[in-house]
Amino acid sequence: MSDGGAFSNSDGGGSVSNSGGSNSGGSVTGALAADRVSFAYPAPRFRGGVHGTRHDGTLHNGTLHNVSLHLAPSSSTALVGSSGSGKSTLVRILLALAKPSAGTVALGAREVRPGLARSLRWYRQAVQYIPQNPAGSLDPRMTVSQLLGEPLRQLRVAGNHRALVGEALERVEVPAGLMERRPGELSGGQNQRVAIARALAVQPAYLLADEPVSGLDLPLRDTVLSLLSSLVREEGLGLLLVTHDLGTAARMCGTTSVMAHGRIVEHGPTHRVLDSPGSPEAAALVQASAALHFPPAVPAGAAP
Amino acid sequence: MPGGTAFVKVTVSRVLALVALVVLIGMMPWLSGRGAEYTILRARYSDREPTPEALAAVRAELGLEQGPLPLFLSWIRGVFAGDLGTSWISNTPVAPGIVSALSVSVTLMAFALAAAAIIALLLCTPAVMDGLRQRRRPASGALSAALTSLPEFLLAAMLLVAGAIWLRWFPPFGWKGPEYAVLPALSLGIPAGGLIGLLASDAIRAGFAEQWVATWRMSGAGPVRLTAAVLRRALPAVLPQIGLVLIGLTGGAVAVEKVYAIPGLGRALLGAASAQDIPTLQAGMLALMGLALLVGTLTTAARYLLIGPAVRFGTLPLAEPPRPGNRRQLALPAAAGVTLLLIVGAGLLREPFTSDHARLAAPGWSLPFGADASGRDLLARVGHGAVGTLGTALVVVLACLVVGIAVGLFPLAATGPLEVANAAPPILAGLVVAALSGPSAHGAAVAVAAVSWAPLAAHTAALAQEARAQPYVQILPVLGVGRARIMFRYVLPAVAWPLLRHAMLRLPGVALALAALGFLGLGPQQPTPEWGLILAEGIGYVERAPWAVLAPASALVLASVVAVGLAGAGHGARVTAVNSAGAVPLPGTDPVPAQERVQAPAGAR
Repeated sequence: MSDGGAFSNSDGGGSVSNSGGSNSGGSVTGALAADRVSFAYPAPRFRGGVHGTRHDGTLHNGTLHNVSLHLAPSSSTALVGSSGSGKSTLVRILLALAKPSAGTVALGAREVRPGLARSLRWYRQAVQYIPQNPAGSLDPRMTVSQLLGEPLRQLRVAGNHRALVGEALERVEVPAGLMERRPGELSGGQNQRVAIARALAVQPAYLLADEPVSGLDLPLRDTVLSLLSSLVREEGLGLLLVTHDLGTAARMCGTTSVMAHGRIVEHGPTHRVLDSPGSPEAAALVQASAALHFPPAVPAGAAP
Repeated sequence: MPGGTAFVKVTVSRVLALVALVVLIGMMPWLSGRGAEYTILRARYSDREPTPEALAAVRAELGLEQGPLPLFLSWIRGVFAGDLGTSWISNTPVAPGIVSALSVSVTLMAFALAAAAIIALLLCTPAVMDGLRQRRRPASGALSAALTSLPEFLLAAMLLVAGAIWLRWFPPFGWKGPEYAVLPALSLGIPAGGLIGLLASDAIRAGFAEQWVATWRMSGAGPVRLTAAVLRRALPAVLPQIGLVLIGLTGGAVAVEKVYAIPGLGRALLGAASAQDIPTLQAGMLALMGLALLVGTLTTAARYLLIGPAVRFGTLPLAEPPRPGNRRQLALPAAAGVTLLLIVGAGLLREPFTSDHARLAAPGWSLPFGADASGRDLLARVGHGAVGTLGTALVVVLACLVVGIAVGLFPLAATGPLEVANAAPPILAGLVVAALSGPSAHGAAVAVAAVSWAPLAAHTAALAQEARAQPYVQILPVLGVGRARIMFRYVLPAVAWPLLRHAMLRLPGVALALAALGFLGLGPQQPTPEWGLILAEGIGYVERAPWAVLAPASALVLASVVAVGLAGAGHGARVTAVNSAGAVPLPGTDPVPAQERVQAPAGAR
């Protein structure tokens, strides 16, 4: 199952060095892999509930069936699929926020499961996350430097935190002069970049990004995506980009996985998935995406 | 809707809260401690000296030696066998007295309910008329707020003065015929009817504002059918609150029965509490608990009848009342607050304890409010009383804030205690505390605090739920932030300010509850200047010296106006500070912030 040949130093011990202020790529321990993961929300107690819908409005009909996904350093993978296909659930499981009902998640040889913050520090430092609407993930009461310092402190990251914060901000091109501002005093794009910098500050080996640019205008979208691809290219970051925009997937990612109904229905090089989708779900996605971007130009009923 | 575990947690919590309440009642003889022995020795054997031997004999006689658990078990066995125990004071069985007192109280409450129903109906009529004529205007609520503003003990005192002494329309004391029930029923019914009318007319206006009404209208539904449909839609949302108002009547009845000398359960309990006749108090509390459970069951049943099974799934969205955002409504409370401050300021400069004046001296330039029966300056007593009452209220409110926050962060497990505390009228809590430890300012504060934390806990639960749902809190586990830090560094700061504001808004309401206890003699004792106590002292001289009642009553009325105004200004908390019922939404398991839907604790049913 594992294609361990893809990375330089997949050690069997699975020990992640917490010590390193060393650059990502250097301390990478191996693949981040979900192996035959299944997930189901607890069955609703009352007869009415058919779907896994929860009363709190966040609709979770994302159940997973036997899903496997492998991420390697210095590579980026797109995870596409319509809403409700299970992408977000898979990301939650990869982040050890949700416990799979079957299957495992492992970084290198070390298995991961939800637990106390303390016991997951090593993993949180290695795998970071950019949520949908990153700007909303910033506590409005904290300053930029507090926001970026929090994960460094909580994850006990070694090194000079102030320097790490400055470095991360520099990478996303946020002027250091904004360090003591609060999110309310920054523009939307600046906030978005601060949230990305917060994920990068702990120097993770893997980054899971859930529609990181969906709320941005086009020029800014470009900036953020370029930043992410340069991190993958130059610093050996492993990136999982969750998106339903196939254009972004094509531009950013070498491989693409298509999810539908809680399964990975297709997996392969992005260009092949897009040009000749092998499953009806992938075909529907490609077609819908094309129709969205060029409504008049695409002849109706163009079959792959 | 509660999923499996949530539902179980809520149910278990409710059952445990009820059991705890019964256990508390059952253990009262043990909890009353040493003080009880002296009381009984004095009451039964006034010739004996309180020697250790005599006290030990009393202990043995009462069975206090057995320890708490056997005491409770023998009591509960007796209860199931129909034996409610023997009075410590008269040494006769408790049950017959309690039964006859209960029947008097239930009759009084029936009269009060009739009065409340008429008032509520009158208050709802404009809402229905507006709805049928398709006029949309925000509920004015001024009239109902005015009706609701006076606590029962104060209203009872004022109606006694007006209806029985000045106008002589009704007999002032006793319980011999229907005419004796009018004033007491009005004292209880006016605030209750005002509150029910306020809640119901808001819900009715919201019902008429909904989309389907227009559809029905266009398809030719007549006014009667339309009104019936809107009522069916609107009333279920307010039924739980109405239930709480009705349960709250039991607390108000204590004060009203005292003022009008009605031989009901309230007066029996008051007598038992001040004489430390614990078995009588136990039986009475048990009767009131049964009454409260009955009311709760009936309102729940009524909800089921009106809504059907949808209530169980929590899938029926409840009508949202339009929020009155009228700033002018704050003018009256502000004026009342300023007047109150002036009175208190002037009173504080004077001497409240010395009898420098003629007994019951009439008001004049040098003595603006007159003097009380001991020749003390009433203005000074009212002013100093404000400091005592409000100071205690501040401590109580802060204690409630701490408890409310602590409890509100674990809302599911706390549902039962929260509902009990929410339904329990402060006066009944005061009776229990006074019976256990003797009447005192501390006891009154403890009693009021014991039942006043619930709204703050409910608000905390709603706010914390909201805060936890924020994206910036949701991401914290990924950043390595542990649970404790999430709670204390992120959730608490987010909820602290609104809660502090809410707590401060409850200050006058808590002060009124303390005054009610003082009025009943369950709070601070002579010669402390405390508003309720001053009122109680004055009421005996009301014919000769009306100012002895007028001075503390006007201060209390001003405080009530401020209380209602502040509660209305608070975020949807309008209903809460008003009445001893303390009708507030409970934290259900549904995520709609409780404070946003004063009408609807749907998920908690």
